[in-house]
Formats: sequence, C-alpha cells, structure tokens
Amino acid sequence: MAKSDDCVHILQGLLVFGNVVIGMCGIALTAECIYFVTDPYGLYPLLEATENNDIYAAAWIGIFVGFALFALSILGIIGVIKSDKTLLLVYIILMLITFAFEMASCITAATHRDFLTPNLFLKQMLERYQKSDPANNNDQWMIEGVTKTWDKLMLQNHCCGVLGPSDWQEYTSAFRVTHSDADFPWPRKCCVLDAQGIPVNLDGCKLGVPGYYNSNGCYDAISGPMNTHAWGVAWFGFAILCWTFCVLLGTMFYWSGIEY
Amino acid sequence: HPHSHPRHPGACTMLPLLLLLLPTAHGIVEHVDYVPFLVKTPTLEGLTTASTFVLEQPRCLFNKYSNVDIWLVVALEQTASKFNNSVEPGTPESAFQLFPDPVPAYMTLNATLANYPCPKPNGEITVLRVGSETSCARDMARYSCNGPLPGPGPYKVKFLALKGSKPVAETNWSQPIMLRTAKSPSSITTMDRGHSAGMIALTTILSILFAILLAGLVAMLIFWGSDSCGGSSTFSKPEAVTVRRYNTHHVYDQPAARL
Repeated sequence: MAKSDDCVHILQGLLVFGNVVIGMCGIALTAECIYFVTDPYGLYPLLEATENNDIYAAAWIGIFVGFALFALSILGIIGVIKSDKTLLLVYIILMLITFAFEMASCITAATHRDFLTPNLFLKQMLERYQKSDPANNNDQWMIEGVTKTWDKLMLQNHCCGVLGPSDWQEYTSAFRVTHSDADFPWPRKCCVLDAQGIPVNLDGCKLGVPGYYNSNGCYDAISGPMNTHAWGVAWFGFAILCWTFCVLLGTMFYWSGIEY
Repeated sequence: HPHSHPRHPGACTMLPLLLLLLPTAHGIVEHVDYVPFLVKTPTLEGLTTASTFVLEQPRCLFNKYSNVDIWLVVALEQTASKFNNSVEPGTPESAFQLFPDPVPAYMTLNATLANYPCPKPNGEITVLRVGSETSCARDMARYSCNGPLPGPGPYKVKFLALKGSKPVAETNWSQPIMLRTAKSPSSITTMDRGHSAGMIALTTILSILFAILLAGLVAMLIFWGSDSCGGSSTFSKPEAVTVRRYNTHHVYDQPAARL
C-alpha cells in the first residue's frame, strides 16, 4: 500500500513537473513567434510577392499554440493534483488538438523554408524591381514592396542583386526597360554612396571599379534571417512536441489508473 | 620618282630618303604595331555589358607625331575590312547614328596627345568606355557620338591618328570583342523542389508521435467503457479513510456485597 502510494506521488510529481515545463515553453514559443511576426529585418514584402508567405502563417499559429499550451498546462497541474478523471480527460483531448496544430505549424515552416531558393528571389527581383507598368492594384502593391525592400537591403547590407551585380547583366529585367544598359549597368543603390545618398564616384560605379560598387550578392542577408525564422519555429516546436508527447503518455497512464 | 638602275652610289641613300618623304607627301598611313585590348588591370565588373565595353587607353603610341588627333574606329568583325582610312570623322560616312547600316565603321572618342600623357602615371586607371554617351545617340548633329553599341557584336576597333584631316598612323585591328547577351528571367527555374532531410525527419517523427497519442486516447476510452480491466493498478485517492482500532473499555462488575 505504501509502495503504491509512493509510486502515485512520484508519478504525480513528474506530471506536474512536465506540465510546468510545457507552460514555460508555451510562453517562450509565443514570445519567439511574436518576434518573428514583427519582421525585424523587413523581409516580409519579398515573401508576400512570392505568394509564399506560409512561414509567417506558421509563426501566427505558433503564437496561439503557445498560449494554449500555457493554459492547458495549468489545467493539467490542477487535474493531476486533484486526480479528477473528467478534468484530465478534457486536458488530454484539448492537448491533442493543440498538438495537431503545432505539428501543422512545424511542418509548414520546415516545408516552406525549402521553397525559398536564390532563384526564387532572383526571378522576383528581376520581374518586379522598379517595374513601371503594373498590371493591377495588387501588382502595384507588390512592386512597391519589392522595390522598397530591395533598396533598403542593398543600402544597409552593401550588396547588389541576389548573387551579385552580374544578375542585372545576365538577365533582362523590368528595371532594364526603363533604365538603359549604358547608363545603369546596375541600379544606383549598388554604388558606394556617401552620407547624402549620392554615389561617391559614378563613373567608377558604372565601370565596376572595386571600391566604388557593391560586389557581393544580397542572398546571405535574406536567407540568414529566414533560416533563423523557419528553423526557430520548426525545431523549437518539435522539441516542445516531443516533451508534450511524453507528458501526455504519462497522463493517459495516470488517468487509466484513477479509481473512483 | 626615279626607279631601276641607279648609276651612282649616292642613289642608294637617296631612295630611302625619298621613301621617308613619301608618307607625308602622298598620305600613306604608318602602321603602329599595337593591338587595342580590353582593360586588364584592375578587374572591372562592367568590362563588357550589353552595349558598352572598356578599352585600355593608347598611351605612348603616337608620341613621335605632333598635333595629331587620335580617333577610335569601331567596326563589326565582318565590316572591318570595308573601312577606308581616308574617311573623315564628323561626316555621315563615319557617323555613329548610321552604324552598322550603311556605315561599316564609325569614328569616335576624339583625343589629342595631351589626353594620353606618356608615361602612364602609376595608380591611375586609364580607360576608354566605348558606348557611354546616351544623350547624343539619336542626335544627328553629332556624328562622332560615343553612343551605346547596337548589338552584341562581335566588334573590332583600332586607333587612327589624323593630322588635320589626313590619317598619318594607325594601329592593328583588335581581337573580336563580344558583348553580353541577356537572358529572359522567365528562363529561371524556381521549381526545383528538393526537400531537405531535416524537414522529412521532422514530419515523419511528428506523425508517428501523433499516431501513438491517438491510439493511446482510443485505448483509454475503450477501457473506460468496459469496467473490467480498470482495477489492476489502482491509486487510492489522497483523502483515503483508514479504519482505526479503538480499545473498548471493559467495565468490571464489582460485587456490591463486599460490605
């Protein structure tokens, strides 16, 4: 009798501990996803224009799942301490629903990260940057987003194009339609600019003299934050789910042993 | 001029002297053994673009002449042989705007020896960007415009030194210069769907875990319905009541007659 009592107490203790961890991880997940949704690097317009912004949807789901995990962990702690069969059944079912949502979020984030290749951004930049004849309002909105984002990217990261300034030479583009090749082998933002935003040496920039133009591509500046975002949502969520799996199994075992 | 059978020894020196005077007298153009080339140092990103290319300046080539204008002649590889040195610059026969049809070559980038000082100072970048003037590309008043080239080429160039309007020296034709041709962005493939190993592992493991949990839930509910197997390991509730033994006091019946 005493031994069984001890087992019960140990199991209860473990379950309470498990739920506390779930609660804290839920808060952490919410905080992390809010950080990603605020888009600190300003890359959201690029994703919006690719019509492939599902890693943001995954982050939004993560916010709500985090809250749900926190609330359910409190419910679980109460249910375990009171050994209430009904409460624990509700807890298990709601946790399974939350598990399903978080699973969807992780898989979405991981899958859509694989779509974000350099070619995707290259094609979008060539087709939309400084395009002068928008097809409709939606197109106009995307063009503005892409142009502003690329200008900011090239200015802040001292880079040009996706893989380098040669992107503008290797392919025709919407930019090329309005800006002649002789005057603008690449956009002015690719030049080294002074404090007023004027190229330090315009001829040097047009010739491509090292030191007067940005020779790196911007892909690293784009993929770095996106990788952090996608893997942060996907793998942290995965870790939480593994832990939740163990806690839920323990709770099911505990539930089936409660005698009225 | 006198030819064949010079009778006196002085004639052997007379002939070369006369030949030296001939170019200035009859307009034969001297050949400078120099091949124009694209800039080698420093490495330029825009060495060739779709409509421009960058040549090294012709330094220390025409120094023995004074008062010459050095012009650049640009032709297509197949029309270079049709160019006649006696064509004057700044005329419709050498106009950029009429190149390549009907004009086989145009003349541009006029400079004097003062523009190309010799020797070349160290550290300076000495280049000629062919095709940089966009403002006069359609201006028929400026035949010697250095306008953007009309196609990918291949092009051949040479330098021609003119005194007055007569050519006095020329360089070799350059190697054919090919410009860049741009592809359309619709040729970029974005649909190479390579799923990373991490994503596959994550999906698989999560699906398995979820399946186990669902199975556990189903098992739980089934065994709740049937009361039989619920009693094997039972946990007592915390507020379990235990029966305590208590002593019953025995009342001893003392005889009252002990009086």
